[in-house]
Amino acid sequence: MASSSTSNVYVHVIEDVINKVREEFINNGGPGEAVLAELQGLWELKMMQSGAILGPIDRSAGLKTATGAPITPNPVHDLNVPYDGTEEYETPTADLLFPPTPLPGMVLTPLHGVARTPLPGTDGSSLFDDSVGGTAITANEFSSSNNNGGVPDIKTGVGRPNPYMQPPSSWLNQRPPLDVNVAYVEGREDVERGSSRQPATQDFLVSSGKRKRGDFPAQYHAGGYIPQQDGAADFLSDVPKVVQGSVQQTLSRIPQLDGPIPDPYDDVLSTPNIYNYQGVVNEDYNIVNTPAPNDMQAATPAPVQNDIVDDDDDEPLNEDDDDELDDVDQGEDLNTMHLVLAQFDKVTRTKSRWKCMLKDGIMHINNKDILFNKVSFSVLLLSFPFRPYLHLRLSLVLVWRINLRYFESYSGNRRIRILILMV
Amino acid sequence: MTTFELYRRSTIGMCLTETLDQMVSGGILSPELAIQVLIQFDKSMTEALETEVKSKVSIKGHLHTYRFCDNVWTFILQNAQLKSDEGQETVDSVKIVACDSKLLTQ
Repeated sequence: MASSSTSNVYVHVIEDVINKVREEFINNGGPGEAVLAELQGLWELKMMQSGAILGPIDRSAGLKTATGAPITPNPVHDLNVPYDGTEEYETPTADLLFPPTPLPGMVLTPLHGVARTPLPGTDGSSLFDDSVGGTAITANEFSSSNNNGGVPDIKTGVGRPNPYMQPPSSWLNQRPPLDVNVAYVEGREDVERGSSRQPATQDFLVSSGKRKRGDFPAQYHAGGYIPQQDGAADFLSDVPKVVQGSVQQTLSRIPQLDGPIPDPYDDVLSTPNIYNYQGVVNEDYNIVNTPAPNDMQAATPAPVQNDIVDDDDDEPLNEDDDDELDDVDQGEDLNTMHLVLAQFDKVTRTKSRWKCMLKDGIMHINNKDILFNKVSFSVLLLSFPFRPYLHLRLSLVLVWRINLRYFESYSGNRRIRILILMV
Repeated sequence: MTTFELYRRSTIGMCLTETLDQMVSGGILSPELAIQVLIQFDKSMTEALETEVKSKVSIKGHLHTYRFCDNVWTFILQNAQLKSDEGQETVDSVKIVACDSKLLTQ
């Protein structure tokens, strides 16, 4: 139910809209006054049904509009008057004016409008589609090289039934190490790939320090590969191998360095331990210069690594990991209960106290619509155990989510995970 | 003139959207015209809130989530108390979505 004042404003808005679009309806071969009246009637009917407009007020308001057609509580019937038949939907005029285009476009348009407020999911998924297409070629390259290599541990290649794995393994070749051993970087660049790719790598190195939101798509589309964001230690562990062994074999032997596969529940089991092991190495940044990774890489014996897999008891990151916040979010969306739509003038925060000035808003609270001209609200941040780090925690979760959206195909975000744990 | 599509998520906006959907799929309204009606609604609603509505509301509660993305603030408050002229409401959690009012004046 709505209060009478809210109802009045709603009636006012309806009238205002109807009056202002009247011209469009009548001129330029528009559908005419009758359709407009039907629009108004239906709209008001729905409003009454939802309880947002109080019935009697609406009726009087409808009469006040003086459109010539009196509005009754069931206006659809009234609107038939200008037409001869009751089947107004099938009048030839309508068919002429509106060839059978509208359905798909129309149904989408208003919804798009509604979704203008940011919906990360939308962007993310579309980008993800792109990413799959974009990396397809390199993925093939990789697999062919893997076959030709005839490397002893080819099992690693075979054990990848999941196409998700391919993109990471392809751009992995171009992934620069993020830190520590610059000498290795250059050596690797010389050996593994032409100097032509070096600029891209360096771009990435520069931008990886401070990453803007826009960087993801740009880098991705420009380079055709996705830069590794989640830690380079695993790569460093490979470098010595390049020095030691033949380049080709090394290349083909490293299909995926960044942890288990995106669909962990299916794939972790079927994927040989080498990935997992390297994942563990990734997490320990101190281990980079120790000989241990070299040894492991050189031998690549599967059985040995099984032990290590066992102690990789971290379950891989999932979309559901972040958790309590989302639960609340979804709850909100599902119930669509209490919602405030407004414009903000000012949002300030002092420590954990937020103060916001909003204006021109609509609240839908307890099934009641309340309009307001101004609202101030001050809220206290819920106390978290580590409150000072809350921002960091949130932003990390955000970063991780962005990562996941854009780079759905890999899930080795272990570095972020570690940071979160540390926080 | 810039308009916010924000208010389309309100009751009145949803009702209008449904109506337009219905009429367009019934073939009696062209999609273009329907969009024009929606845009007009955005304007009228904004205007009406500015001129017709004078009430003030204050909200207090625990901030559960805050998010600022693309100039839109989203807050999720828990145990919120909303005081308005018409009384006081208490809700377990409320979601607040707010666009930047400065964008309208540009």
